[in-house]
Amino acid sequence: MAEKDIDAPDWVDQDLLTKDEAGERLDEEIVLVRERLARLEAGPTGPDSASAIEMVRRRLIAMENVRASLLKTTTH
Amino acid sequence: MPLQDHMQLISVDDHVIEPKNLWADRLPKKYLEQGPRIIEMDMSKSHGDEGLSAALLDASRNGKDDEAAKAPRLAEVWSYEGRIYPNIGLNAVAGKKPQEYGMEPTRYSDMLPGCYDIKARIADMDIDGVQAAMCFPSFPRFAGTVFLEHTDGELALLSVQAWNDFILDEWSTYAPGRIIPMIILPLWDPQLAAKEIYRCAAKGAKAITFPENTVSLGLPSFYTDHWDPVFRAAEETQMPLCMHFGSSGKPPITSPEAPMAVMIALFGTNSMDATADLLFSPVFYKFPNLKVALSEGGIGWMPYLLERIDLTWERHRWYQNVNKEVRPSDLFREHIYGCYIDDFEGIARRHQIGLENILWECDYPHSDSNWPNSREYAAKLLVDVPDDEAHKIVELNARKLYNFPRL
Repeated sequence: MAEKDIDAPDWVDQDLLTKDEAGERLDEEIVLVRERLARLEAGPTGPDSASAIEMVRRRLIAMENVRASLLKTTTH
Repeated sequence: MPLQDHMQLISVDDHVIEPKNLWADRLPKKYLEQGPRIIEMDMSKSHGDEGLSAALLDASRNGKDDEAAKAPRLAEVWSYEGRIYPNIGLNAVAGKKPQEYGMEPTRYSDMLPGCYDIKARIADMDIDGVQAAMCFPSFPRFAGTVFLEHTDGELALLSVQAWNDFILDEWSTYAPGRIIPMIILPLWDPQLAAKEIYRCAAKGAKAITFPENTVSLGLPSFYTDHWDPVFRAAEETQMPLCMHFGSSGKPPITSPEAPMAVMIALFGTNSMDATADLLFSPVFYKFPNLKVALSEGGIGWMPYLLERIDLTWERHRWYQNVNKEVRPSDLFREHIYGCYIDDFEGIARRHQIGLENILWECDYPHSDSNWPNSREYAAKLLVDVPDDEAHKIVELNARKLYNFPRL
């Protein structure tokens, strides 16, 4: 329980993702996806696995790019 | 594996935070001061809504630049016709001390850029595994009801049209096939609203956001003829009405002391109210091709409510002014769609709801979305659902309802 109630009509809150929270979520997901990619790359090879590896790798790169852009804009 | 790679996720309930220049870029010069615009305010010196409004206006009119440079922490807020709206599509901060909203964004620079920048939005959708999304307004509120508060009708109409033109000309055209264009209406005049529907349909609009209940907004109810021009235009242009919970401006607050958790837990009851109103009103009999989506209302409650409504209809229809021929649950399946983010109970009882009546949603960029893991969460929820049924829920039902085929 909070020490003091917030004196505000907070039902209108929209509760958006901030850069900080988005960054934390991305950090967690990037770790998980790197592990997933490593497992896929260590597994048996084939056309399906190559396609799956490529999809995971592209998503990882996209997340890393978004994370980097958030760090850049946060420090400015 | 019910959710397969070829199935594209379509979120029927995301949100756009209006860019600062949305109205400034589109309104005539004479309205730039009174139209919606962003101004800055030192929130640490405000003590409540009234003081906040006065201080913000004062700051915006007198020497803003010099004072702004010295201010420790300026919030960006919307000003419209001299009124201050202290959430820029962000968390409300009125009456809160800075330490109480310290983790919440009060400036655009605090926000995830995908909130207001379409290029960043598409990148965020990509990593979330979401192919397409429909975006509700933020500053104008979920159904554009902020413009009901106007004093200048011409400015209000131009402001509504500016929002729609932004969505149709800019937000949804940057990446074809990724955004389902939704529009808002000048709700104070049903004839004007119908005209706006036809104008926007010609420009490619696919959906209309509309209040879940109009009475609490001081407008006539669904039981009157008042909205016939709007419903007729929606039907003729094949655009569903999307009723987001909370769009009536009447949240389910049970008591003044109840924490916000009570209201959040009860949000679905607003959609239950809308369902009962619509099924017992003349709306769907007068407009047999009209469709309604209950955005973010959840779906788990639907089997119970439909059973209850059918029982009520069976026992009590004879002495009331309700349709005597059509079972309400049959009417529901022809006209109403439920939308869910996390709803295991609803997915388990999907056949009682109607497999064709369920739509998936993400709710980005609100923090209760599962971004950047929406696809993984959707897959978990659908793990026991046959492939063809999962495909309908995440993609095919939305493509059909919103007339939004794959490119």
